[in-house]
Amino acid sequence: MKISLNWLKKYVEIPEDVKNQDLIRLIGARLVEVEGVIDETHKYDKIYVVKVESCEKIPDTHLTLCQINVGKKDLVQVVCGAPNVREGMLAAWIAPGAIVPASVHEDAPFVIGERKMRGYDSCGMLAGADELDLGDDHSGIVEISPEAAKPGDSLADIFELSDLVLEIENKSLTHRPDCFGIIGFAREVAGILGVKFVEQPLAFKTSGHVADKAEFNPTVAIEKSEICQRYSAVVLEKHGEMKQKYLTWQDTVISKSGMKPIDPIVDATNYLMLLYGQPLHAFDYDKFVKVSKTSRPEIKVRLARDGEKIILLDDTEVSLNENDIVICSGDVPVALAGAMGGKSTMIDENTKNIIIEAATFSLYNLRKTQMAHGIFSEAITRFTKGLSPYQTLGVAGKCAEMLSEGFKIAGMADENCCKNDNSEIMIGLSEINGLLGTDYSKELVIKTLENVGFEVKDRKNLFKITAPAWRMDIHIKEDIIEEVGRLLGYDNISPVLPLHATAGSNAMWELKSNLRDLLVKYGANEILSYSFVSERLLKNASQDTANSYRIVNSISPELMYVRQSLMPSLLEKAYKNEKLPVEKFAIFEMNKVYPKRFGLDSEKVPAEKMSLGILVAERKSNETAFYKAKKYIAKVFEELGVVVKYAPFVKPAPEMDSYDPKRAALIYVGDELIGVVGEFKKSVLHDFKLTAYTAGAEVDMNLLLEKASRKKEIDLGVYKEEDLTVTTDKTYDEALAEVQAKNPNAIITPGTIYQADGQKTRNITFHIKIA
Amino acid sequence: MVDVDKLKQELKKINDEAAKIREMAPEKRAEFGRMINAKRNEVLGAIAEAEKAAINEDSVAIDITAWSGTNEPSPEFYPAEMGSAHPLMKELDIVTSIYQMMGFDVVESRQLDDEYHMFDTLNFPKEHPARDGYDTFRTEEGLIPPAHTSTMQHRVLKQFKKNLDEGKAISVVVPGRVFRNEDVDATHEHTFYQCEGVYVSSDCTMGQMLGILREFFEKYYGQKLNIRTQPGYFPFTEPSLEFMIEKPRDLGGKKGDFLEMLGCGMIHPNVLKMAGIDPSKYHGFAWGGGIDRLVMLKYGLPDVRYFESGNLKFLRKFN
Repeated sequence: MKISLNWLKKYVEIPEDVKNQDLIRLIGARLVEVEGVIDETHKYDKIYVVKVESCEKIPDTHLTLCQINVGKKDLVQVVCGAPNVREGMLAAWIAPGAIVPASVHEDAPFVIGERKMRGYDSCGMLAGADELDLGDDHSGIVEISPEAAKPGDSLADIFELSDLVLEIENKSLTHRPDCFGIIGFAREVAGILGVKFVEQPLAFKTSGHVADKAEFNPTVAIEKSEICQRYSAVVLEKHGEMKQKYLTWQDTVISKSGMKPIDPIVDATNYLMLLYGQPLHAFDYDKFVKVSKTSRPEIKVRLARDGEKIILLDDTEVSLNENDIVICSGDVPVALAGAMGGKSTMIDENTKNIIIEAATFSLYNLRKTQMAHGIFSEAITRFTKGLSPYQTLGVAGKCAEMLSEGFKIAGMADENCCKNDNSEIMIGLSEINGLLGTDYSKELVIKTLENVGFEVKDRKNLFKITAPAWRMDIHIKEDIIEEVGRLLGYDNISPVLPLHATAGSNAMWELKSNLRDLLVKYGANEILSYSFVSERLLKNASQDTANSYRIVNSISPELMYVRQSLMPSLLEKAYKNEKLPVEKFAIFEMNKVYPKRFGLDSEKVPAEKMSLGILVAERKSNETAFYKAKKYIAKVFEELGVVVKYAPFVKPAPEMDSYDPKRAALIYVGDELIGVVGEFKKSVLHDFKLTAYTAGAEVDMNLLLEKASRKKEIDLGVYKEEDLTVTTDKTYDEALAEVQAKNPNAIITPGTIYQADGQKTRNITFHIKIA
Repeated sequence: MVDVDKLKQELKKINDEAAKIREMAPEKRAEFGRMINAKRNEVLGAIAEAEKAAINEDSVAIDITAWSGTNEPSPEFYPAEMGSAHPLMKELDIVTSIYQMMGFDVVESRQLDDEYHMFDTLNFPKEHPARDGYDTFRTEEGLIPPAHTSTMQHRVLKQFKKNLDEGKAISVVVPGRVFRNEDVDATHEHTFYQCEGVYVSSDCTMGQMLGILREFFEKYYGQKLNIRTQPGYFPFTEPSLEFMIEKPRDLGGKKGDFLEMLGCGMIHPNVLKMAGIDPSKYHGFAWGGGIDRLVMLKYGLPDVRYFESGNLKFLRKFN
């Protein structure tokens, strides 16, 4: 939303000592996020109102040679290509050296000069609305009313064009539809500045115009009050021509607000929407009744039927769904409510009588309509904030007033399903100060609330507060506290620190921190990877997709499944790194996994596990990766004093299907499976394009935490050390058991293993330490 | 063991049968073609599986109890100079340790949650637009990978409610991974980290909230900071604010250069009520902000996509 400061200042007086920059900062701190400020202070410099004194056609061209009065003694000669240039008119003249306003924000702004055209000197330029950035009209130059200005006047002075325009972040006003109009915005600004906002209540005045003809009085039927709280319709009968001759101040504020002046009827509805925040729509009355061949407009507001079709103003045909709200003539949809009018009842140059609609619709339905049909207009932006229905008829009446030159009120209808009486909220001064941490006086609180239209009755120690009709968001005490805190400035609240007890520890968080330090110390790299994986990734890792929760609205197939283990992600990252290339690495991640087979926990949400995954890989190595992975994971157990057993890979968990059963081990603490370490199936390596030197380990950190010992003994003993080599056909552990049995008090650690060519037996070396 | 040769014979038979299509009546060809193709794909799939199994069979068992390979040197750890902690995790550790120092418990957030915790307990109106599919991911079962760490608020309130009975405050921070249905570019990630704070006591004020947040950022940046606020809107806090700090000098900040750090506010009474806390006796405040941006600011990183890239050329710089 764009807010012109000049327009705003027409509704709220800004004290002289509050500079524009202060004002903008206050608005940012106490009302909305100001995304940006468009500085138009000098946009219209050196553009003047001039009088065309004489016109002379240049032969064989469409051009006219004009002598213009620029408010000085001598006339100025300018060549003009517009068909509507004529003697005696007041026009806008861009003087030499001035920038064409429409180009000020371009990379190379267009500077007007003095030049020769067809051999004639042409000084400056007579401007059209598009060049002035005051509309799209390129059919001719703008004309200015002689009542508004005289030759030599600065255009910026006449139309208050030297301005700052605020760009408001709409998201920061989601709950404040009342601020989506200049008046509502000005009310808040008054509140922020601590002054009372002067309300100008709208009353619908027919002033005796209503015709005594039944056909001009519409009927309104609302199918369900939830979809439309209030629908006001005013029928205007044409009695004269609207003159659209002069550039008006209204055109300039419409433009500054980011819209375009189009024709008197549309401009009136847009202007009032920008001013009051209440969107309006105009139907061609005669087309409206023709659609359903009724004697008078039978307006019906209902939900669309699935598959029902409507052609909109922009010529697109949309297929409606049961969530869309439609305005019908009889039962035939003629507008997609809140979003866009229909082609069949569109205003055109032959339009005689019109119906002005002012209504409110369910924001929830309209939000979905907005998304379903991709319509993001100024009107729907306002409807989807949840407008108060309090002013529909008043604004429709205001529209009639604006169009009174050509139209008179001939009929009206106002169907109001809403009992809009904001209930009283009782709150004490101490509750307000108590929650904010402030010391505001009773008088200040009352004044602050009254400034923006709240009704405050002071009952000893309690305020009885009623919110104004335009506020649909005030229901509880905290809403009142918010108003007071915000309007008086949260920045005026003194930050203090509370005293409270010490914190407990989070053992898992600490474990992660410790393991991170440990693994980094041993040269490993911590990575993070997405919690969602693709079907391809799961399949490549031999994991069953049925064991993963599937996301139905994933951004892409790459992110469709919640991971059941960290290993597929690590395998993928390993490939990416080998390709970089990184020669050798140990990568690890500690993150949560959600195998579907775990089911739900006591809170009825999926049971989760913290998992530690490690993967080692080298691009060129003929050794066995398994032992490197085992060394890393064993270090983790050793650090935490957890005694584990490496067992043959039988009956693994479904998440462990990536591993090669002949080259992997299950890890047990007692008889509890805590993890796995191993190399991967050849098919997995193939699918991930990884080298043979790849191995991984994954450990259940919840169990790890449970088994971890806080005790860590430091051995200060003095030992005699020797190596012992045994020749055996047994496994390492079996051989170890025999050696240990013979040396019951020895501390035995592994040495290397040697096997000669063609031998069945291996030489296993042990390092033995005896006290 | 599936016999690959047998399957291949079967495939040949199917292919021979497929040739008959030329002799068939044109109207029957489509149906026949579909049938044959289905059969063919089934056998092709089985062949692929069988070949995979054959490849996987072709592996040599190792002594899993040993600590080095036969005729291989003992494996070594990689040198410490190669190691690196993930900058996001490291930062999250710093953040939580400051809060712990300030007396906050730490509870890590979930990565898969439900409608109840994500919306219902946070006072989101039933039809609130944030609930529909445009921002939030959902699984087939209707579960939600949370879009904010506030998904833990209800749990935390219930878990620490006993503090209030003991006359103490609830003071908890919730770091965690969150998800938004958002296209990824240099400044947007669908997966990122947040840290939530929850504080409830019998006499807490907005002034205390601002005090705690300022204290945190001053500790984090090691200097005095100017703070600023801006009205905001969240269904689960009332009043709601955006909290800003003046960009620290060390990070190239100039006067008047403010950074939006987090959203915060006084906990909505409905949220307290749902957790069984009497809002007429207790008040609270809560806040939540992104961690990724703190790290990007600190290291001058131009692209958020580095974090989940797993790229060691990037990560090893954080040795």
